[in-house]
Amino acid sequence: MELKSERRDDWSNLLSQVGKQRDRSAFKELFKHFAPLIKGYSLSKMPAAAGPHGGDELVQEVMLKVWQKAPYFDPRKAAASTWIYTIARNCRIDLLRRGAKHQSTSLAADDVWQQEDENEPYSLLQHTRNQDSIRSSFRELPPEQSHILTKVYMEGKSHAEVAQELDLPLGTVKSRVRLAIKKLQVLITAR
Amino acid sequence: MVKHHPNENLLAEYAAGSLPFGLSIGVSAHLHFCSRCRHRLESLNDLGGTLLADTQAVPVAADLLDSVMARLDTPVQQQPKPANRFNLPQVLEKLVPDLKSLRWRRLSPSLRVSRLQAGQDRYEVALHKISRGGKVAEHDHRGQEVTVVLKGSFSDDEGVYTPGDFLLREPGDVHRPRATQNQDCLCLSVVEAPVLLTGWFNRWLNPLLSFKPG
Repeated sequence: MELKSERRDDWSNLLSQVGKQRDRSAFKELFKHFAPLIKGYSLSKMPAAAGPHGGDELVQEVMLKVWQKAPYFDPRKAAASTWIYTIARNCRIDLLRRGAKHQSTSLAADDVWQQEDENEPYSLLQHTRNQDSIRSSFRELPPEQSHILTKVYMEGKSHAEVAQELDLPLGTVKSRVRLAIKKLQVLITAR
Repeated sequence: MVKHHPNENLLAEYAAGSLPFGLSIGVSAHLHFCSRCRHRLESLNDLGGTLLADTQAVPVAADLLDSVMARLDTPVQQQPKPANRFNLPQVLEKLVPDLKSLRWRRLSPSLRVSRLQAGQDRYEVALHKISRGGKVAEHDHRGQEVTVVLKGSFSDDEGVYTPGDFLLREPGDVHRPRATQNQDCLCLSVVEAPVLLTGWFNRWLNPLLSFKPG
């Protein structure tokens, strides 16, 4: 665990280097680590795109955005994994919308899921703690709760879709998500 | 002071990107006004980052790194950030190029609507304007409806809503909004299905509220 959180800090340092010095070798390191994870993320939502190179389209788009936006990355506000997650999420939304022929609008995911400037010191204080403890807290969740959160985040399924897939009442899915988030918050503040 | 917020489920779906695009526009508008929810969202994004870090890694094509490296120097078309002309949420700056050129349609003496092109087909995204002191016919909801107050305020039997307040109505909820006396009220609304007027006199008005997702 110790080692993991140290390593994760390294990713944030590398990302800062990419942003400040436009360091290509640091970017390559980030790519080697995150590209396979982004591909896993892509395939969990769009398995139809599987095949040897399915999922690579999203990886390419996300990693290019990482390079372009790195100068705006602030390690005090988010860990590299969170920051890259939000980019991957937005790119995946746009990719799916393009596939569904919604190009008629000028509105992109970045307009709806913006990274607004957050100058509130309150949230800065919270952050370092969050990053270190969410992972271990997540593992303490009952499996039926962590399973649903994984479906909602990684597979990008709405609560209603999860309910249908797992043959559960919608209310059950909703309350498991609520309980899981509440429990994560309690575990995190207790640490 | 924002008093009404999206619930935990809605915000988690938004953070996960699994909330329908139309409803996400409503949440995005609320976040502009609400630092508390922006903070809640950070934690929910952190959860996404953690899950991404722990997801099953799948090898990418051997030449992908090279082809990305080759594209790094491609100049990026910087989209000029629209100047915040009316102090509205950023998402609306994009949806409403010019507040003055909006075409308003009169639904009743005190209610006007202007539909926005939000590029999706499940929800109708619109601005509603209630004139000061005006009342809106009592209505039921056939589908989910999200309302975010942008300017002014309105009230119904349950309370008074001011800028930033986020309201989610479910099918079966009946309410009768009215604007406060001193100023017009501007709201963003995201509606899943046509609103149903329940008063006997208003039934024949329903066809006027034709549903046009956009």
